[in-house]
Amino acid sequence: MASIDIVPGPADIVRAESVWSKIRYHAAAHPLGVVGAAIMAVFVFAAIFADLITSYDPIKTNSLITLVQPSHAHWLGTDQMGRDIYSRIVYGARISLAVGLGSTFLGCVFGVALGLASGYIGGWVDLVIQRIVDVLQSVPLLVLALVMAAALGPALDNTILAIAIPLIPYTARVIRSNTLTLREQPFVEAARAVGMSEFRIAVRHVLPNTLAPLIVIATAQLGAAILTEASLSFLGLGVPEPHPSWGRMLSESAAEYMHTAPWLVIFPGVAISLAVFGTNLFGDALRDILDPRLRN
Amino acid sequence: MGTKFVALATAILASLTLCNANAAEPKHGGILKIYHRETPPSLSIHEEATFSVNAPAMAIFNNLIVYDQHKPQTSIDTIVPELATSWAWDKANTALTFKLREGVKWHDGVPFTAKDVKCTFDLLQGKGQDKFRKNPRKDWYEFVSDVSTNGDFEVSFHLKRPQPSLLAMLASGYTPIYPCHVPAAQMRTHPIGTGPFKFVEMKQNESIKLVKNPDYWKKGLPYLDGIEYTIIKNRATAVLAFVAGKVDMTFPTEMTVALEKDIKSEDPTAICEIKPINVNTNLIVNLEAPPFNNWELRKAMMLSLDRKALIDIILQGQGDQGGSLLPPPEGVWGLPPDILKTIPGYGDVKKDRDEARAIMTKLGYSADKPLKIKVSTRNLATYRDPAVVLIDQLKQIYIDAELDPVESSSWFAKVARKDYSVGLNLTGNGIDDPDQAFYENYSCGSERNYTHYCNKDLEKLFDQQSAETDLAKRKKLVWEIDKKIQEDGARPILFHARTGTCWKPYVKNMTIESNSAYNGYRYEDIWLDK
Amino acid sequence: MGSYLIRRFFLMLLTLFGISVLVFTMLRVVPGNIADILFDAAGMIDTAEKGKLETELGLDKPIVVQYAHWIGGLAHGDLGYSYVSEKPALQEILPRIPITAKLAGLALTFAILFGVPLGVISAVKQNSGLDYVLRVISLSGLSMPAFWLGLLILMAFVKFFGTIPIYTDPPHGFWNNLWLYSVPAAAVGFRSSALVMRLTRSSMLEVLRQDYIRTARAKGASDSTVNYHHALRNAILPVVTVIGLEAAFLMGGLIVTETVFNIPGVGRFLVEAIRWRDYPIVQNLVMFIAVVAVSINFLVDLLYAVLDPRIKYS
Repeated sequence: MASIDIVPGPADIVRAESVWSKIRYHAAAHPLGVVGAAIMAVFVFAAIFADLITSYDPIKTNSLITLVQPSHAHWLGTDQMGRDIYSRIVYGARISLAVGLGSTFLGCVFGVALGLASGYIGGWVDLVIQRIVDVLQSVPLLVLALVMAAALGPALDNTILAIAIPLIPYTARVIRSNTLTLREQPFVEAARAVGMSEFRIAVRHVLPNTLAPLIVIATAQLGAAILTEASLSFLGLGVPEPHPSWGRMLSESAAEYMHTAPWLVIFPGVAISLAVFGTNLFGDALRDILDPRLRN
Repeated sequence: MGTKFVALATAILASLTLCNANAAEPKHGGILKIYHRETPPSLSIHEEATFSVNAPAMAIFNNLIVYDQHKPQTSIDTIVPELATSWAWDKANTALTFKLREGVKWHDGVPFTAKDVKCTFDLLQGKGQDKFRKNPRKDWYEFVSDVSTNGDFEVSFHLKRPQPSLLAMLASGYTPIYPCHVPAAQMRTHPIGTGPFKFVEMKQNESIKLVKNPDYWKKGLPYLDGIEYTIIKNRATAVLAFVAGKVDMTFPTEMTVALEKDIKSEDPTAICEIKPINVNTNLIVNLEAPPFNNWELRKAMMLSLDRKALIDIILQGQGDQGGSLLPPPEGVWGLPPDILKTIPGYGDVKKDRDEARAIMTKLGYSADKPLKIKVSTRNLATYRDPAVVLIDQLKQIYIDAELDPVESSSWFAKVARKDYSVGLNLTGNGIDDPDQAFYENYSCGSERNYTHYCNKDLEKLFDQQSAETDLAKRKKLVWEIDKKIQEDGARPILFHARTGTCWKPYVKNMTIESNSAYNGYRYEDIWLDK
Repeated sequence: MGSYLIRRFFLMLLTLFGISVLVFTMLRVVPGNIADILFDAAGMIDTAEKGKLETELGLDKPIVVQYAHWIGGLAHGDLGYSYVSEKPALQEILPRIPITAKLAGLALTFAILFGVPLGVISAVKQNSGLDYVLRVISLSGLSMPAFWLGLLILMAFVKFFGTIPIYTDPPHGFWNNLWLYSVPAAAVGFRSSALVMRLTRSSMLEVLRQDYIRTARAKGASDSTVNYHHALRNAILPVVTVIGLEAAFLMGGLIVTETVFNIPGVGRFLVEAIRWRDYPIVQNLVMFIAVVAVSINFLVDLLYAVLDPRIKYS
């Protein structure tokens, strides 16, 4: 971690040419971002190689080892059904990532489409879309997700959808305001002058230029999506058993053991917090790098 | 800090009072505080089917007859008079006449008469002008043709055929007498009874308050000034509230073994009892949906069950294996262990599973080519948790099951439509009585016969045992029926659960019934020693 | 300014109309209605009886008629009756509002009390060890599920004090109220304070770079004068916006926190009502929350205009 002390001077910027050196340069300037990226990498690694780094089936119940304290055999203990907590948390990373990435992706796709249409076309399209966005934004995210989840029923794909919809308005807002400025830029005027169709301009020239803020938003929403899934599961909706979802691990039954078996409550909560913490740290650094207006 | 001091003081006080508990005379006064697990849909007992209603509401009412509130095992032999002073069958056992108590007043001052009894049963049978919004126990009175009054203080039930179990139903907490002069709709929002406590208010998510009925017909009772239920949905929070002394008692039968241990370690003076609640968890298989219409496949599923493991995991060992009726010693009618042992799936798990795998192999399934199914269950922890273990056990015999959690509101409708293939269900019995259990769950046309099991010969036996007045003979018949139902795999019973109730030592005269969770909440002679 | 306000007001009404349609239709898309749930709770499947109940509650009418009935009632101040308790919806909702308002108010106070000063310190000491520590703390505040924090707090309370601030009776007196609400408020407010702190910090940093601050410094104003007199006053503007937005978003945290701490406020009531499909309660409650959220946004805009004379409205 010696790199923390390196303060980039003008000379460093000049040398920052290749992608690798760019990354090294930004990493040195944002040590907390590096920590965030490392945390995220650990979780992604766990999700991908879950089978290799665990020795228990996360769904297998066993009456002989219920509520075992954290020990050598079960690093993080077992739950009331004798399932290994460590294995469940590792496999749970898959669920959290699926929910996080899935709903963020869906939310961004719809948000971008709405934001781009709203900002680029303007007029009554803008007015209508803005009202829809207003409406979605005025109902608290969890309330919206709650009703959506109840409407769709508890299943992985439904949970993703229920969380994605409340994420739309914010993305749409930011993309719209970005598009509004881009629309007046000289290169758009130039494209129009050579007779490019409006749709092509929007997709080929405006869209790519909204990518930076989009990435920033998406990282922020990744964390929000994971947290919302946890809250939904806590309230009895969300991803169903026996899928080892972190939020589900904390819900109803587990909370009953917070006294006798606190590890049931502590570790999944730590996993959620750490994963979101990682994305937040990384997202902060990314925002500083990609969005110059917000750079401190 | 004040609260901490109070908690400490009550703890000291509690331990002091424990020493001279036996010597004490009942004391008057005080408010019994109990936590409630949820906001009940209403307090109109006749319209509801959960003891979330019976527990707070039973103290508002009286029955004609009731189970002795201090005998844990309820049965025909423990029935005592309440609004009726005596009862008698006619020679043919088809007319049951009650002499009624005089001088009893409703909470609003109107005198109680035989007309009220008639009105109550007219409502239940859908005969009166006024109607219930819901009438879940209409079937209990299927064999009652008419209720007639003879003056203000005598009432007779006329039956289509002898049915000794009618007494068991009338003695249940489910069968209070309602006032004729209060509309059914008002009974839901502001119930009026003759019981030891009057209804004050119910606030959703907050509390239910009852206050002493000073004109109660049992002189000198109740001892308590009132009962207050605080609604606490989260069980862990509720346990903390009990330990901290904010409530004197946990909601009846809501404590798991783990929670009970938790309570005992935090408050060693607490009194806890773990008893059966006469609710069984069972496997339902749609007999009409292929491939489950194949008896061999169903038999393999029956043989795959490890009931002991289920009980150990879900109930930390506090449960019983049994047939469709609650097993002895707590249960009056359940199959004794020596008969139970002879039923497939209740023996040696390893041997049974080998047999099950052999059947599955014969049917063309293997570890590489498992049978893929969905196990539907209600999206509540008490349903989901055993389903998770069940899925794991089915995996042992090449069945790859996925959990299909069904929104609570559509669960019964879904299984009644037979819109499932394999499911996990809970069946609660309001009273420990064969009539209710058999007709409701296993007779051919019953809408709650979710698996469509139908055996006409067995149905004749249902009627035969129902009309049998000799208790010993009836028990033999009941065992024969239950054994057959289990062997046919009509609805394999996974376990009968036991759960706990805890109270502070200064709560006196509390009796928790051991074969039902619906009938023991009159609370007229509970008192607080503080 | 006047015409802007009028336009803004009408847009607000339009938004509220949209919300009412959204909530109304969404609720009816959710499978099962109160009749299903009441019958299911009683273990009954009698469809004829269920149909009768649906007719009684008007659930068999076309959805447009039901909507018109609701909005028509609202116009007369009639919110309808709760399906579950059969009491007027207004009577059920009103007493819960002060409970949640107290909780939200305390949480916001907590957020501002901690968020603003720590944000300023973090900005003034930018890139110092202290700044890093504060940033990490605030980020972790944004990363913890509110209900988990609530559970941890409850566990800690029982362990160290042997008692807990659980709502069992309505509290009387100022100190009882404070004792009961402050712990759950801290659990919710932690997240908000983290947000406020982050925003104060970045907005402070931006202002500190401005020319007039440099001028003030060049003129020899002391550090503290510059930081707290000139910079903070200007930096606080965007913070006000976020506090306004956060007040509306606090609701999500309140729902789970009210569940954990057993507080009979609006949030928990809403979850229960959704579970029961108690349409009159859910509709009116979500509308109420939306009205609060929209009005706060409106007020924040106004406040912005008052605080920052540079902003022009057309």
